[in-house]
Amino acid sequence: MITSSEIKTLCAQAPDFDDIACGLNATKKAPKGMVAETRKVVAIARKFKQEVMQPYTLELDRRMQQDPEHLPWEFVQKANQWGFYSMWIPKSFGGQGYNIPSLSYFLEETASECLALANLIGVHYLAITSIFSTWNIGVISRLCGFVREGEKNNKPCLLSTAITEPNAGTDVEECELVDKGNITCIATKVSGGYVINGTKVFISNGHVSQWHIVIAYADARKPSENVVILAVQNGTRGFSFGRKEHKMGVKGCPASELIFKECFVPDDLVLADPEQHRKAKRAAKETGARFLDYTLAASRAGVSAFGTGAARGAYESALAFALKTEVDGKLLVNHEWAQSMLAEMYKNAALARLSYAEANHANGMYGLFSLLQIKPLYYYFKYLPMAIVDKWIVPFMRLPVATWLFQKLYLDGKKPEAFRRIAGWGSLAKFTGTDAGVKNCHMAVELMGQAGLRQDHKVEKMLRDAKLLQIYEGTNQLNRLNLFKCIAAGQHPQVKVFEYE
Amino acid sequence: MIAQNEPAVVTVTQTSYSSTDSVVPPATKTKEGSAPQKAAAKTGADNQGGDKELKMMAKAANEFALKQLAPNREENDKYPFGPYFADVVQKAFELDFFHIMLPEALNGMNLGISALSTVLESICREDSSLGGIIFTTVAAQEILRQAGADPALQRICDSQKAREFLIGLPVFNNPGEVRHLAQARWAAGQCTLSGRIEYMVLGGTAKQALVPVQTPGAAGFSYALVNMEEKGVRKSEPILSLGLHACPAVDVDFDGAKALPIGQEGQGGFYFDKMADRMHAAAAAMSVGQMKGSFREALDYAKKREQGGHAIINWSEVKMILANMAIKITNAEMILEKACQAADAQTPRWEAQSRAAALMIQEMACDVTTDGIQVLGGVGYMKDFGQEKRFRDAKHTQALLGIAPAKKIKFMNEML
Ligand SMILES: Cc1cc2nc3c(=O)[nH]c(=O)nc-3n(C[C@H](O)[C@H](O)[C@H](O)COP(=O)(O)OP(=O)(O)OC[C@H]3O[C@@H](n4cnc5c(N)ncnc54)[C@H](O)[C@@H]3O)c2cc1C
Repeated sequence: MITSSEIKTLCAQAPDFDDIACGLNATKKAPKGMVAETRKVVAIARKFKQEVMQPYTLELDRRMQQDPEHLPWEFVQKANQWGFYSMWIPKSFGGQGYNIPSLSYFLEETASECLALANLIGVHYLAITSIFSTWNIGVISRLCGFVREGEKNNKPCLLSTAITEPNAGTDVEECELVDKGNITCIATKVSGGYVINGTKVFISNGHVSQWHIVIAYADARKPSENVVILAVQNGTRGFSFGRKEHKMGVKGCPASELIFKECFVPDDLVLADPEQHRKAKRAAKETGARFLDYTLAASRAGVSAFGTGAARGAYESALAFALKTEVDGKLLVNHEWAQSMLAEMYKNAALARLSYAEANHANGMYGLFSLLQIKPLYYYFKYLPMAIVDKWIVPFMRLPVATWLFQKLYLDGKKPEAFRRIAGWGSLAKFTGTDAGVKNCHMAVELMGQAGLRQDHKVEKMLRDAKLLQIYEGTNQLNRLNLFKCIAAGQHPQVKVFEYE
Repeated sequence: MIAQNEPAVVTVTQTSYSSTDSVVPPATKTKEGSAPQKAAAKTGADNQGGDKELKMMAKAANEFALKQLAPNREENDKYPFGPYFADVVQKAFELDFFHIMLPEALNGMNLGISALSTVLESICREDSSLGGIIFTTVAAQEILRQAGADPALQRICDSQKAREFLIGLPVFNNPGEVRHLAQARWAAGQCTLSGRIEYMVLGGTAKQALVPVQTPGAAGFSYALVNMEEKGVRKSEPILSLGLHACPAVDVDFDGAKALPIGQEGQGGFYFDKMADRMHAAAAAMSVGQMKGSFREALDYAKKREQGGHAIINWSEVKMILANMAIKITNAEMILEKACQAADAQTPRWEAQSRAAALMIQEMACDVTTDGIQVLGGVGYMKDFGQEKRFRDAKHTQALLGIAPAKKIKFMNEML
């Protein structure tokens, strides 16, 4: 009826079968152990939510309204004690090595209780993702080592990611725009390292992090070809914290200004710079774009999980209210219109979840953590005793050959198709999940009327918190445009994206 | 259209909504004979006078909003963790913003819902908290008038201080829908209250409050007026809430507090509905103000902020968001104007028009203020700009007079 070459040709037509069936393709390859592990992660998250978060969520939000300068160290300590800052760092880098997609489920669970607290954990992994996108294995391994040490010594070591600048927000999230932007955070090459000058703004977890992964540019005239990624530790001369923003929501998670004045960063803390990649066969701009795609494809799935959590938290609060409140003489939950609203909210959360799951499947197949989901490697690391990892694997990872190997595999070896696919799914998941979060919070506040307005009933806080999700990790507008770029720009020559009209 | 800093003017028809017009519950009153309708038939000359007065009100409200509210918006919003803006409320009181709908006999201006809407719209462009205070007090005045409690209202209206003039009311709940009611032993002249009322707006700042109560003798609820400094009244700390921070609410526990019965026993639902018919249009005006404020700030920002080497207004995706905001606002303006005119002239189905206007416009305001943040990107989420507050206030305002979807069902029920 149909030949195998016909199947190949027809399935390559738009939409490419591999674009629409990431999950289907992934499940047959994924190690079964991932499911049991993810179940465990969900259970841990629920336990943490009930024991640590629930008694604390509203108290912290209230406290932050009273004293916006407060920093939630007490929570960061707790999360550190529970091991959450190394849980999703691969074992080969000294972490606990839980599978990366399970992080999304963790983020959904915790976000369904409090987005600020979920961010205090999740944002750290945005930074972990951004360091991994460089495949500079030596530096990554050192930084991950600090996180693990911080866990052992009960001194939390968090990482933040600093891209946004006062005059460049959307521009630095998109390599097609960055050259037209007003870039002012510059890293200048000097002997033995780089000197950073400039300011980064709105940096989540800034004030509670020990290390900051700074994305700066060696040349403001062509930033896209001059990306420099550096790790800056607190206390480094020339680095200081500026203001801590006063936000509408997500109050427990600080958004910080980072100020760099003649801040010297030695070469051994430079994760990526134009010199490293000059020899690569691709254009310099392409390398910068690959860093960005790897990072954002993974982190946007995480933000989608935050949105799913918000959508679910709103649904759960609204349901709890409807189960105990009489409206017009009968329980709200028994009004057909309310049932329909609640079902719609449930659906929003469910579809949001599917979107991040599919983005994770795409990342697992073609993205940042594809190697870790190859069955033999997965089981090897899962059951390898930590002592052996420490003795043999961690030191190997610090050798230059490890960086060479991984950069060959991940920066040189991947096809443009892979980047297009992961970046597209990352954006799709980001705006789907976060729009669902905001929508459900609106609906919950509506359904609960007067009760929904009170901070002590939580949904008003959820709404305040959820709105952020449509803004950071690239606004949802930018993410729509990026999705369109991924699905259409390569296929139709007449499509032009980010062109000024 | 979507004027920058022009006074908001909703076309007015002056009414002489006399205190004796609406005191009789439905069983004994017909719509035809109501004095508001007679008022609607007043001559054009009168209406011109009304227009002039309205324009003056609009100007005063606009100036007040820009000078008194806008500069301290962030500070005032810190309440209950910052000071309460009592001096601003007093100034608004002295400008008669709380007297708009009261008849002359009660020291009022005897203007209609159009005038109130005009003032609320201007104020809510800058800071809806004061709008919420005015709304709550006027809603309570309306209930008192519907219930024929003019002597009680007269005593309140004689006060020269805002705090003594304000009246608390759980204005975000329709007590007929969600029966949050205190208990009362009803007797002519005095009743005794027990139980709890949640989210009594102005309960901590007004001298008196109107309390929905359940009495043993009636299926429907009733109203009682209580002095909030009375023995047996215990107020919670101000409730931390989504929006309207400086229009604070408290939970109130009553334990044998003496109160004044208002109107007829069991007729609270009727009084509430009558009040709500008119006040829905006023609530819609608050939302229109929030939308206009949000749009103005978004437009100003979009002209100045550059990304991709151009002012963001010139990226057509941003332009589209602004266009959608502007289209909603333009429609909201038209709907509000029509609803106010209808309410003041008491044209057929004015009650439905007032309610429909509010339901539609409040939804639009939630959308518009959400987009209003989005246009500003990260800074829209920060306290330094007015957008995040308008977003919270718009959502808060949507809950005025009851649960939003339940208000829709009620709207339909009224048509059946
Ligand atoms: C609480 C918070 C936490 C954050 N955390 C971090 C962090 O940890 N690290 C970090 O680096 N950044 C962080 N950010 C910054 C965030 O990523 C940016 O705010 C976001 O990318 C938008 O940039 P902007 O705020 O400069 O808005 P702008 O880029 O100025 O955008 C303003 C508006 O213009 C639109 N726009 C701009 N350009 C275009 C275009 N070409 N086409 C169409 N529309 C356009 C946008 O969609 C938006 O609606 C955070 C922000 C907030 C608010």
